[in-house]
Amino acid sequence: MVDLIKLRGVKRYYDVGGEIVRALDGVDLIINYNEYISIMGPSGSGKSTMMNMIGCLDSPTEGTYEFEGEKVHEMDDNQLASIRNRKIGFVFQTFNLLPKLTALRNVELPLIYANVPREHRLEKAKEALEKVDLLDRMHHKPNELSGGQRQRVAIARALVTNPSIILADEPTGNLDSKSGVEIMNVLDDLHDEGNTVILVTHEAYIAEHAHRTLHILDGKIEDDVRNNRPKTKIIIQEKNTST
Amino acid sequence: MFAFVESTRMALGAIWGNKLRAGLTTLGIVIGILAVTLMGTLISGLDRSFEKSMSFLGRDVLYISKYEWFSKQEWWEIRNRPDIKVEYVEKIKSQSKYVLAAAPVTMRTADISRGKETAVGINILGTTTEFLQTAFLNIDDGRFYTEGEDRSGARVIVIGYDVANILFENENPVGQKVKMGRYVFRVIGVAEKQGKFLGMFNIDNRAIIPFGTYQRLFSRRGWMRLEVKVDQEHIKDAKDDITAILRRLRGLHPGEKNNFAINQQDAFRQQYQTMKLAIGGTGIFITVLSLVVGGIGIMNIMFVSVKERTREIGVRKAIGATPGSIMQQFLLEALFICLFGGFVGVILALGGSFMIDKYIFPSAMPITLAIISLVISSIVGIIAGLAPSYKAARMDPIEALRYE
Repeated sequence: MVDLIKLRGVKRYYDVGGEIVRALDGVDLIINYNEYISIMGPSGSGKSTMMNMIGCLDSPTEGTYEFEGEKVHEMDDNQLASIRNRKIGFVFQTFNLLPKLTALRNVELPLIYANVPREHRLEKAKEALEKVDLLDRMHHKPNELSGGQRQRVAIARALVTNPSIILADEPTGNLDSKSGVEIMNVLDDLHDEGNTVILVTHEAYIAEHAHRTLHILDGKIEDDVRNNRPKTKIIIQEKNTST
Repeated sequence: MFAFVESTRMALGAIWGNKLRAGLTTLGIVIGILAVTLMGTLISGLDRSFEKSMSFLGRDVLYISKYEWFSKQEWWEIRNRPDIKVEYVEKIKSQSKYVLAAAPVTMRTADISRGKETAVGINILGTTTEFLQTAFLNIDDGRFYTEGEDRSGARVIVIGYDVANILFENENPVGQKVKMGRYVFRVIGVAEKQGKFLGMFNIDNRAIIPFGTYQRLFSRRGWMRLEVKVDQEHIKDAKDDITAILRRLRGLHPGEKNNFAINQQDAFRQQYQTMKLAIGGTGIFITVLSLVVGGIGIMNIMFVSVKERTREIGVRKAIGATPGSIMQQFLLEALFICLFGGFVGVILALGGSFMIDKYIFPSAMPITLAIISLVISSIVGIIAGLAPSYKAARMDPIEALRYE
């Protein structure tokens, strides 16, 4: 079986006013199905570039990136858009819902770009909203929802195309701790259901939800740790701290 | 290809979200389309009334008079031309085989009265019976005078439709007596209603008396023109013939210019074409100007829209929108704004043409023009949307997502 994600010698250099910034400087990484990974690192470490690279928003300057055997490093913009659409579900720190669309329409959006017929789209969007327990709010617009609810809509949007990975960038960064716990529970559940979840965070207690933590520094993976702490314990801890 | 229906829905949604802005932006397009459609309506109306007027001047009738209808010569060059004489009629008829009928026409203004009723300022024409052929005149009631009546100077009169209405409200004018100054005339016929010539000269406001009678009662001199109906297959030949005949009659040397004018319907046509060109040119100028200004306005607002929605573009790209689908979405948005402007313009123009039809002259907006207008506004929309849409399509999703 092919690896879900395989990076070989990935480098990403930026030219910032004549100065070369080595955002990623030779990354080798393999991610398998149903892994729960967190990516940590201080700002400027290359953490964001790493996320953009895995999310197929960016292409390597050097090196190879294969996603389920598809050669991402050779793809043009249209192919990248397609792989993002089919295989990657994004969850952003700032939710990034379209403010003029209802929750249902927001969740439906990726399916539109996947050319799914309208009836199927609505059906699938409702299913996804049901998974995050927001079916009763589907006709609300983002500004009529709480932060936690918004992030759940965003997760539903990420789930709706049945992607190979869910890529969450600081998913709790804009939430109060109670909502943060709520969102982490959703992500944990998704992992338990067999999804591959990748978290980008700088909060250690969030990273601890994952089973594997990548520490990024100066564009390189400095540390790749597997933590086997039982999940339930952490949640109890958090609940205590949040009250 | 990204589903067209969805792009349309998104574009319309975005416009709806910024109704006022879209509405204001489209004003330039509205004005442009309004200008082009109203101009078209105006020209079509003018065409119609022009053609109707032209039916009074037969294509195959030559009007010989002292001056050209639309002279380009200076007045002092032509003021000493000799008068047109009635004798020319016979010469022309006998010497050119292309001439079918010819009538001298002379005219003065007079009041016609009957009892207490007076028709003021009526054009009194003195002409011969062949005028019926040269002027395409039909008699509604009664008859035209005969050659005998003409020769003998009978006091008979054929009155125009309006004159009949003024003097004989509910009676049959035929056989009745009317007075022109101190002379009494017997009405023998009423001309059919003809309307106005070029919307200015009322043709129904006239009366016709025999040429002989006119000369006896009024004047043997004065303004006169000859109306000559010619073989319509040989109008040019007839014109050449008549020119030769008149030059000979007047003893002009080969180097001298004609000191008479042979006018034709074409003179009006040329004049009209010039005017139409001027109206059309002005209209097109205004249209192009407002469409360019409107188009730039739309381009501007689309750039603003793209900038404002940078984040949205980033999100859409992250979840799988291709550059093409983003391009399509913004292009459609620009297109719909312009198309909307075009629609408003056409609807306003419909109202405008209705008013023109009601208060100025009969006209209708040509349907092809409405369609062309909508096509033009679509094209403007696409052109105006091109640069902003391209900018949106090429946006880097990472930058776009980071945009605040």
